[in-house]
Amino acid sequence: MLRHALHRLILAVPVMFGVLLIGFLLMQVVPTDPATVRAGPTATPDVIAAIRADLGLDKPLYVQFGLYLWRLVQGDLGASIINNVPVSQELGTTIGPTLELMFASLFWSIPLGILLGTLAGYWRGSLIDRTIMAISVAGVSVPVFFLGLVLIWFVGFQWQLLPFTGRGGPLWTLDGIQSIILPAITLGGVFIGPVARMTRTAVLDVLSADHVRTARAKGLTERLVVLRHALRNALVPVITLIGLQIGFLLGGAVVTETVFSWPGVGRLAVGAILSSDFPMAQGTIIVLSMGFIVINLTVDVLYAALDPRIRGA
Amino acid sequence: MSAATETDEPIAPPRPGVLARLLREPAAAFSLLLVVLLIAAAILAPLLAPTDPYDNDLSLAMQPPGSEGLPLGADAQGRDMITRLLFGLRVSLLMGFAAVVLGGGLGAALGFLAAFYHRWLDGPIMRLVDIMLSFPAILVGLAIAAIFGPGIFSVVMALSVATVPLMARIVRGSAMVVMRLDYIEAARATGMTDARLIWKHLAPNCLSAIFVFATLRFGQVILLGSALSFLGLGAQPPVPELGAMASEGRNFLFFAPHIAVVPCILIFIVVLAFNVLGDALRDALDPRLRV
Repeated sequence: MLRHALHRLILAVPVMFGVLLIGFLLMQVVPTDPATVRAGPTATPDVIAAIRADLGLDKPLYVQFGLYLWRLVQGDLGASIINNVPVSQELGTTIGPTLELMFASLFWSIPLGILLGTLAGYWRGSLIDRTIMAISVAGVSVPVFFLGLVLIWFVGFQWQLLPFTGRGGPLWTLDGIQSIILPAITLGGVFIGPVARMTRTAVLDVLSADHVRTARAKGLTERLVVLRHALRNALVPVITLIGLQIGFLLGGAVVTETVFSWPGVGRLAVGAILSSDFPMAQGTIIVLSMGFIVINLTVDVLYAALDPRIRGA
Repeated sequence: MSAATETDEPIAPPRPGVLARLLREPAAAFSLLLVVLLIAAAILAPLLAPTDPYDNDLSLAMQPPGSEGLPLGADAQGRDMITRLLFGLRVSLLMGFAAVVLGGGLGAALGFLAAFYHRWLDGPIMRLVDIMLSFPAILVGLAIAAIFGPGIFSVVMALSVATVPLMARIVRGSAMVVMRLDYIEAARATGMTDARLIWKHLAPNCLSAIFVFATLRFGQVILLGSALSFLGLGAQPPVPELGAMASEGRNFLFFAPHIAVVPCILIFIVVLAFNVLGDALRDALDPRLRV
C-alpha cells in the first residue's frame, strides 16, 4: 500500500515539474515582455530596465526558472496584462464556482449512471440493456455545448423556468440553487454515458465471479445478491474509473462555463487565451494541471486502499 | 495480456467475412453507410454546395429553414446553411483525420518500438506515455492555443498530442501478444532486419487493433475539436467549421436558433456514426476487446 502510493508519487514529480517547465517556457515564447507590460505605456527605458532587473529578466534562463519557481511557491503567479489584477486573486474567486459546478454535476450523474449500468448489466442482452447502452453511446457523442444550448433555448428562454447566465450566489440561497441547475444538468448529462458503461462492465465481471455463485447457491434473494455481493464489489473499479474521467469532466466544465457564463477557472482560462493575457493563461493552466494531477494521484492511492489485490502491484 | 498470450489462439489478421459480420448488425450497417455518405459529402462539398461558402447576402440573414431556396435557412451573414454545413463538415473531418493520422501514427510507432525492443525501450516509452496521459486533452488544447495562438493548427496539434499516448498503449498491447508467437522467431532466424520484421510481420498483425481504435478515436477527436473551436480556440470565422459555426450561431440563439442548432446536430450525427461503427468493428474484428 505504502509502496504503491510512493511509487505513484515519485511518478507524479516529473509530471509536475514538466507542467511548471511548460508554464515557464510559455512565457518565453509569447511575444510580450513582462517588464514593459508591468511598467506601463508611459515608462522610460530606465524604468523598464529597473523592473527588468527586479524581475530577474536579465539573468540566464535557468536562474529565471529558479526565480519563477520561488515566486510560485509564495503564491505569486504574476498579474493580468489586461487589468493588472493578480492572477492568484482571480484564481481564488473562480476555483470555488468550478468545483461547485463539478460536484453538482457528479451529485446526480454518478448515482444515475451507476443505476443504469447495473440494470443494463443485470439484464444483459435484454431490451433494457440495449436501450440503456444506446442512450449511453448517444450521450458520449453529443457535444456539451449542444446540450447546453438546447436547455437554454427551452428551459431558460421559451419556458422561462430557470436562469441561464452566471452564478446567482452561494448554494444555500435559492438564487444559487436555481442558477446552477441548468449548468449541472448539462455537465452531468455527458457524464452519465461513461459511468453507465463502466458500471455495466464491472457488474458483468462480478456477476460471473465465484462468490456471487456461492451467494446464489446458498439461497440468498436476488436483491441481496445484486446489492450486497455484486454491486459492492463492482463499485471499486467504477469509482476508480470515474476518478480517471475527471479530465473528461474538466473538458466539459470549460465548455459548460463558457455556455452559461459561469464564473469558473475554465472560462477564465479561455478568456485569457483569447485576449492574449499570457500571465493569466499561464496561471490558470498551471493550476488546472496541478489540480488534475493531485486528483489522479488521490484516486490512484484510494484505489489501492480499497482493493487489497493491487496493493502489491 | 495474461491468458491470451499463452494459448495458440490466432491473433486477428482480418479474417474473411469481417464485412459480412459487420453488416449483420443493423446499427453497424447503418453507421457504416452514414460514415461513407458523410465522407463522400465532405469530399464532394465543392460540387454539392449550391453556393460559395463565403458568399453572403445580408437580405437573407437569419432566414429560417424551409425558406424559398434555403431548405436549412441562412446564417447571420445570409450565407446558405447547406453550403456552410458541407464545407464545415469538410474542415471538421479533415482536422480529425489529420490528428488521428499524425497522433495515431506517432503513437503506433512508439507502441511498436516499446514492444519490439521491450528490454530497453519499454520502460522509458511507457513512462513517457504515462506522463502524457496525465494531461487531459482539454488542458493540452488550452496550453497549445496559449502558445501558438488560436487556430486550426493549434487544434490539430492538440488533438494529435492527446492521441499519441492512447494509440501507443493499444499498439504496444497488441504487438506484445504477436511478439511471443513462433513465426516472429522464425522470421528473425531468416536474418531479416529489425525494421523489415516490424514492417512486414509485426505491424500487419496489429492492424485490426489500430483500425478499431482509430475509428473510435476519430469520433472523440471530432467532438473535442469542435469543442475547442466552439470556445474560439480553433477555426476562426469566417472559416466554416462545425464547432465555430455553432459558436457564431450562439449569439443569435433567441432570434434564429437554427444557426447554432443545425451544426450541433451534424456534429452529433458524425460522432455517433463513428462511435457506433467503432464499437461494431471492435466486435467484428476482435471480440476479445469487447467491453
